[in-house]
Amino acid sequence: MNASKALEKTLVASPERKLEADADLDIVRKVQAGDVAAFDKLIVKYRERVLGIIYNMTSNREDAADLAQDAFIKAFQSINRFQGQASFFTWLYRIAVNSTVTHLRKNRLRSFFSLESVREDDPVSKELIDALTDKTGVGRDAFVRELQEKLNDAMQKLSINHRTVVTLFEIDGLSHQEIAEVMECSVGTVRSRLHYAKQLLQAELQPYLLK
Amino acid sequence: MKRDMEKKITIEDLIRLKKAERPPVEFWASFEAEIRSKQLSAIVNKRPWWHGLSRAAGVFNRHQLPFGAAAALAITWAGVHYYSASPAQAVGLAPAGSPEARIYAPAPVSLAPMAPAPVAENKVLVRSEVQTSTQAQVAASEAVVTATASHLTKAPADITLDSISKSPFADGIAVSLADYREPAADFTRQGAFGSDRDFETAVAPARQAASDPLARMDPAEERRQRLLAPALPAYSSGARRALASDWMKARSSSDERMYESMDHGSNDRTLVGFRF
Repeated sequence: MNASKALEKTLVASPERKLEADADLDIVRKVQAGDVAAFDKLIVKYRERVLGIIYNMTSNREDAADLAQDAFIKAFQSINRFQGQASFFTWLYRIAVNSTVTHLRKNRLRSFFSLESVREDDPVSKELIDALTDKTGVGRDAFVRELQEKLNDAMQKLSINHRTVVTLFEIDGLSHQEIAEVMECSVGTVRSRLHYAKQLLQAELQPYLLK
Repeated sequence: MKRDMEKKITIEDLIRLKKAERPPVEFWASFEAEIRSKQLSAIVNKRPWWHGLSRAAGVFNRHQLPFGAAAALAITWAGVHYYSASPAQAVGLAPAGSPEARIYAPAPVSLAPMAPAPVAENKVLVRSEVQTSTQAQVAASEAVVTATASHLTKAPADITLDSISKSPFADGIAVSLADYREPAADFTRQGAFGSDRDFETAVAPARQAASDPLARMDPAEERRQRLLAPALPAYSSGARRALASDWMKARSSSDERMYESMDHGSNDRTLVGFRF
C-alpha cells in the first residue's frame, strides 16, 4: 500500500501541490490586477527551491544567485501572459530551468565550482553523514568536503538534460509528470533520462556506496 | 572507517545530501535587496520589442523538426499547385473562378454550335453569305475552345448568357472580335484576294491582247502593205513607219513575255527553259 502511494507520488503531482497551485493562482491574479507587492509572497515562497535547482545544475553559488533573480524578474515581467493552465511553480521552474540551460550552453567552456557548505542541522543529512563517517569526528569535515566535491563532479559529468532531471526528481522532489511539464518532454523521456543518469552517477560514486 | 557500516547507502542517499548545501540565512537579505532593485528597474524600463523576436526564435529552435517538415510540405504543395495550374495558363486560359474563366464557362457550349456569339451579334452585321460562313467557322472554333476551357477550368455551370454579356471582359472581347471580323469580311466580299483561277481568267485575256502581235495585226492588211509599199508612197512613209513601230512594240512585248517565261529559279545557268 505504501509502495503504491510512493509510486503514485513519483508519477503524478500530490494533492498538496494542487492546493498549493490554487493558492498561487490567487496571488498571481492579484499581481495581474496591479498588486505588485503580492509578487513578493511568491518570491519568498519559492526562492529557496529555485535557487536550489539552479545551484545543483550549475554548482556555482554566485551564478545560481544571479540566475535565480533573473528568473523571478522574467516571471514578473511575463506574469500577464500566465493564464493558469499550468501551476505557477511549474511555470516558474520552467523559466528558471530554461535560463539555466541557456547560461550553461553559453559558458560551456567556463565552468568552475563554488560550493555552499553542507548544513548539518538537517536531520536527514546529519544521519547520512554520520553513516558515512566516523562518529567520533576524526576527519569528518574533510570527508564531507571530499564527498561534496565528488558529488558535484559527478553531476557535472552528466549532460544538462540528465542533470536537470536528477535535480528536479531527487533533490526537489517533483513527480515525473511535473518534470515533463517543466522540461516540455514526455514522461517516458523523463524516466529514461532518470534511469540513465542514475546509472552514470552510480558508476562515478561507487566507492562511496556501501554494500 | 565507513566500510564497516551495516546500513546500505544508495545513490539516492548521496544525491539527497546535496539538499543540505544551502546558503546561510544572511544570504537571503542581500538576495531580497538585489531582486527588489531589479524588479523596480524592470518596472521602469520596458522590455525592448526584439525580446519578443528572440522568444519566437527560441520557440523555433525547440521545434526545428516540425517547422522544417511543415515548410517542406508547404513548398511541395505550392510547387504542385503552381505546375498543375500552368498548363491552363499556357494555352491562354484563366484559372477557375476568375472573371476570365466565366467568359469561357460552359454556357456558350449549350448554344447552337454553328451560331455566332450572341454578344457579337449586337456589334457585327451580316453582310454576305461569305461573311456568314466565316462567322460560322469562327463560332465553331470558339465552341471547341470553350468546351476545352470549360473542361480544364471546371467553371460553374449555372452561368447564364446575360451574366456573360454584362461582364466587362465579355464586352471587350466582343469589340475585339468585331474588329477582327470586319476587315476579313471586306476582303472576301471585294474579291481582291480571290483564287488564282479567277485571277487568271480576269487578267490574262487583256494582257494577251496587248502583247500578242498576231492578235493585233490583220494578216491581209499586212500583206497589202508589204506589197504596195514600193508603189504607193503613203504606205512607204507614215503608214509604214507606224506599221514598223507597231511591229517593234509587238516584238518587244513578245520578248518580255519570253523573258517572263524563263525559269529564273534554276541554279544551272547553262540550262534555260522556255515555255510557250
